[in-house]
Amino acid sequence: MNLKTVKFTRHQQADFVVLLALSSLVIWYLFDAYSASSHFANLILILPVSILVLILCLIEFISQLRGLHQPPPDLDPIASMLPVILLFIAFVLSLEWLGFDVGTFAFIAAFLWLHGERRIIWIFAYSISFALLMSWFFSAMLPYPMPMLILPTAY
Amino acid sequence: MNINDVIGGLSLLFSDMSVWLIVIPGILIGLIFGAIPGLQISMAMAIFLPLTLYMDFMQAMLFLTAIFTGGGFGGSIPAILMNIPGTSSSIATTFDGYPMSVRGEHNSALGIGLGASCIGVILGYSLLFFLIGPISEMVLKLGPAEMAAVILWGITLIASLSGANLNKGIISGLIGLLIGTVGYSEVGVARGTMGSVYLLDGIPAIPAMMGMFAASELFKLVNSHYLVEDKSLRKVSVRKIFAGFLHAFHYPVALIRGSLIGVFVGSVPGVGSSVASLLSYIQAKRKAKSPETFGKGNPAGIVAAEAANSTSEAGSMATLLALGIPGGGATAVMLAAFAMHNITGGPQFIREQTDVVYAIIFANFGQAFLLIILGLIFIPLLANIVKVPMNYLVPSVLAVAVFGAFGLTGDLTGPITVMVFSIIGWLFKRFDYSVPAAVIGILLGGMAEESLIFSYQISGGLWSYVLQRPVTIFILIMLVVSLFGGKLISMLTRKIKQ
Repeated sequence: MNLKTVKFTRHQQADFVVLLALSSLVIWYLFDAYSASSHFANLILILPVSILVLILCLIEFISQLRGLHQPPPDLDPIASMLPVILLFIAFVLSLEWLGFDVGTFAFIAAFLWLHGERRIIWIFAYSISFALLMSWFFSAMLPYPMPMLILPTAY
Repeated sequence: MNINDVIGGLSLLFSDMSVWLIVIPGILIGLIFGAIPGLQISMAMAIFLPLTLYMDFMQAMLFLTAIFTGGGFGGSIPAILMNIPGTSSSIATTFDGYPMSVRGEHNSALGIGLGASCIGVILGYSLLFFLIGPISEMVLKLGPAEMAAVILWGITLIASLSGANLNKGIISGLIGLLIGTVGYSEVGVARGTMGSVYLLDGIPAIPAMMGMFAASELFKLVNSHYLVEDKSLRKVSVRKIFAGFLHAFHYPVALIRGSLIGVFVGSVPGVGSSVASLLSYIQAKRKAKSPETFGKGNPAGIVAAEAANSTSEAGSMATLLALGIPGGGATAVMLAAFAMHNITGGPQFIREQTDVVYAIIFANFGQAFLLIILGLIFIPLLANIVKVPMNYLVPSVLAVAVFGAFGLTGDLTGPITVMVFSIIGWLFKRFDYSVPAAVIGILLGGMAEESLIFSYQISGGLWSYVLQRPVTIFILIMLVVSLFGGKLISMLTRKIKQ
């Protein structure tokens, strides 16, 4: 088969990238573990499993090159999910500063607005009550302090 | 079995009915903690452990096992309704429970889960009643080599079952194993931490599981309007839940097989209910006439998973009572309750306080019946979740997962783990890697490494040690058979036909 004649879809190209990223991660982890200690007990699982993963990745790479795998037909467009993923990342990373109370309120309010809710009072009412209720419940149940901006905390 | 001990056990339970008063709150606490992702059964038991100081030993055991029983089923509620395993033991319940919910069969799925759980508890403790002696002997014979072989076999089976691509499935499971070894090793060096002190204890497995299973699924759902798109199917019906409950009895083989797997696997310390339910699910799928329907909403999948999950409670209790070894977090809390009442589990306990052991077993039969009633009352309330629009449900569940992850780790490592693994899970699903195999790998990676190191130390580095372990050899043969057995048989059949 002439590889020059095979045309790869965008999904297949992304599949290559994911496979490459996974292989690179395994190689990095193997070297990191080896540099930490070359003791047999340290590598007893990591070394054989890493080698096995790399062999399987190579087999997968070859079968992808030969165009053996067809992409699933019903994939949702990435563009519709990306804003949600980014919003979720922003929510988690802002918890240290915004706390669980304000952070959760901001996340839910922004999500509702992003997904078509335009009743401002409803957005505020739901996100404030949900954020306060959950923050209060978890801070009461958990034995360690939680980061909060408004609610009292020993964090 | 001494009949006097049996009568003694019954009189311990029924001579003073006040013993039963703490069972109902115990089951409710278990149901609630199990149903909220991030709150673990062991956490509920630990929080309420101080209360048992004011109870006698029998009451304390009843209270804690009631939380255990309630939590065992509670975890399956979000697993069925939201694809979020409330506890790690509910992973296998998501495979068919959630597709049933999406199809509008949430009432039936919840009822089946409740039915299988309750029957599982009854079957499990019945087996325990007869087999507590042999089980404890068997557990002592399982060494680290067998544990390592069981883990590898389990991951291979799960990888081969989920997704169309076996190669990617095995890659996922093995990468999960590697992730499970991040952090301090047995030789005292840190691996894969990238210099972060938060990763020294390893990647938190439950938040990683929540991210890979739940958050990644929720990202996919942002374009849906409701969990169940058809409005007519969104109704909550007690009648259908009850019908689902009865429907669980239509799968006697899955129930009995799941219960046997649950008791025996659950009795192995450290393996517990998550592996038991996955193995039971795998067996149900392998033995089914139409295995392709599994993972698409086959009720037998829920029955197999829930039966093993709830029976494994009896298995772990067997190890605790007979050997004094806790099989997991929940039984570790129970061991603490033993200590608080100056009682030590083990062969001596079984020999000298057999009536107490039987009382605990009989109490669990009663708890199973109470769970039926409480479950049928509370499930309709929780099932209303299908009526919540997705634009409200998705951010709320994501937020609950983040709160729960914080609850598990006590710092922001948990929420960050959920975030990172939600993206990994989403990528895995999109490119046909196996999320369940990766999750099981993460959960068992540390244990697999530990078992290999112990085997190495015991054997003195000699490979011939494996040849002296017939159970290990048997499990490894099963591993090879499950990977290549099907292909080998079809190849041989083709040749014979030619």
